[in-house]
Amino acid sequence: MTSLAVQQQASRTFAARLASRGDLTGFLMELTEEIGADNYMLVTILHEQDRNEARIVASNWIYDAIQLAGHPLIAALAQGPLAAAPGSRPRSLITSRAPAAGPLNGEEARLLAVLGHCEIYSLQLNVGRQRLFILFSAAQAGQINVDGLMRAQLQCCYALSQVPALLAAASMRDPLSDRERECLFWVSEGKTTDEVAVILGVSSNTVNSYITQAIRKFSASNRAMAVATAIRSGII
Amino acid sequence: MTQAQAQDFACSGFGEHKNPFGSAAHDAPTHEAVTIADAVRRCRWIAVDINAASFGLYFVAPSMERARLVPCFDSDFPRVSLATKFVSGNNGEELVRHARASTQPRWWSANPGTKSSALFETLDWAARIQPLVPDSSGIAFPVYADRSHCGAVVFFGHDIMLAPEQLHEIHARCFALFAAVAAIRPGSSGKVPSVSKRELECLKLTANGYTSEEIAKLLKLSVHTANQYLTNTAHKLNAVNRMQAVAKALRLGLIE
Repeated sequence: MTSLAVQQQASRTFAARLASRGDLTGFLMELTEEIGADNYMLVTILHEQDRNEARIVASNWIYDAIQLAGHPLIAALAQGPLAAAPGSRPRSLITSRAPAAGPLNGEEARLLAVLGHCEIYSLQLNVGRQRLFILFSAAQAGQINVDGLMRAQLQCCYALSQVPALLAAASMRDPLSDRERECLFWVSEGKTTDEVAVILGVSSNTVNSYITQAIRKFSASNRAMAVATAIRSGII
Repeated sequence: MTQAQAQDFACSGFGEHKNPFGSAAHDAPTHEAVTIADAVRRCRWIAVDINAASFGLYFVAPSMERARLVPCFDSDFPRVSLATKFVSGNNGEELVRHARASTQPRWWSANPGTKSSALFETLDWAARIQPLVPDSSGIAFPVYADRSHCGAVVFFGHDIMLAPEQLHEIHARCFALFAAVAAIRPGSSGKVPSVSKRELECLKLTANGYTSEEIAKLLKLSVHTANQYLTNTAHKLNAVNRMQAVAKALRLGLIE
């Protein structure tokens, strides 16, 4: 039971005070060590017009590894079939055994193996309605403690719930105001601008300006895309 | 047959797995289709493990307007318990607001002398909220599933036993249970309308911000045909316009 006692430590040390960016790094580093992993990478996925982009919130991957792998590949790794929701048993990708199918081709897998990511897990994190992913990787297959991993997954969910402002800043996307979110919700219910104006008791011009703001914040090209982005990121 | 021989035989029959059930249990899909009655049973096992007297599973309505918990089932299934009436009323509002923003468990206790209250105090990351039901103690776990389902699994009882190192495991089981329930809980209509592949393609491109003209060009259709596809889809999904069709398709999981 010693491993369990050790595992509780990161939770203990940071449960009381997880406030700054530095605390988050400290927390993730301790957690990574406790489960026997070498590297962590916390990402949010942004839906662009044609592809998904990973936005890295925190990571101890070396810069060259991130550059060589590239953001679309990281997004595919994090969000792909590998991703385990809380409560489901995580499965790993072993890069040294060139995978026939999956998010990576042989060349990319070899590259990651060379860079010290021989076994990779992707865990889905639910922070309120927001969804993030954390990649844990190790230089040797079988090095990561899977039971510890499942516990770490929920600890990450708890810890990140503590720092909503940090996450918003990291995803570098202005959060919608309550009014903007409300307007977008009614648009997703098929209401026209005039109908939303009546529901919220404001003028049509005001509704339009809220929606325009939401479109701009999401860098969407129109209303339909703004609605889709809002649903995909779980805010409406 | 000696034991060693029996083992060899078993190995040859089941490949490298010595225990045909042991290894299968690990990979068993947690999202397997279950009935609500199965879900109630699974929830009861969790309740037994933490010595809770009763339980309930609630959904958080997607609408911003209603900060209410929508009951799915509770320990009195198929009837509805008194506790659920409190939880789905005004008392649940604080939990709804909490669950939308944070995954941390929340607990409450009627009087500080109870066993469960002393125990809740020792839990990391968990904090206290206003009682969901007067004169009771309990703990609520926010849970989430695909297609932005959000909810809470709540356990009631003055004698809940939950060790700090057990918290993650219990919460993980609540997540798995909720995922299973969200998968079987019929959407608004219950059955998914049959939308053709071409129609879905158009809808997906619309969700990605393309206009009808751009879709027509990409799929080598006339603008008129592209629009016709979108109108059909909206009709099939019982939506009044494109925006609602996109929203419904995403929520039903027809498009990603």
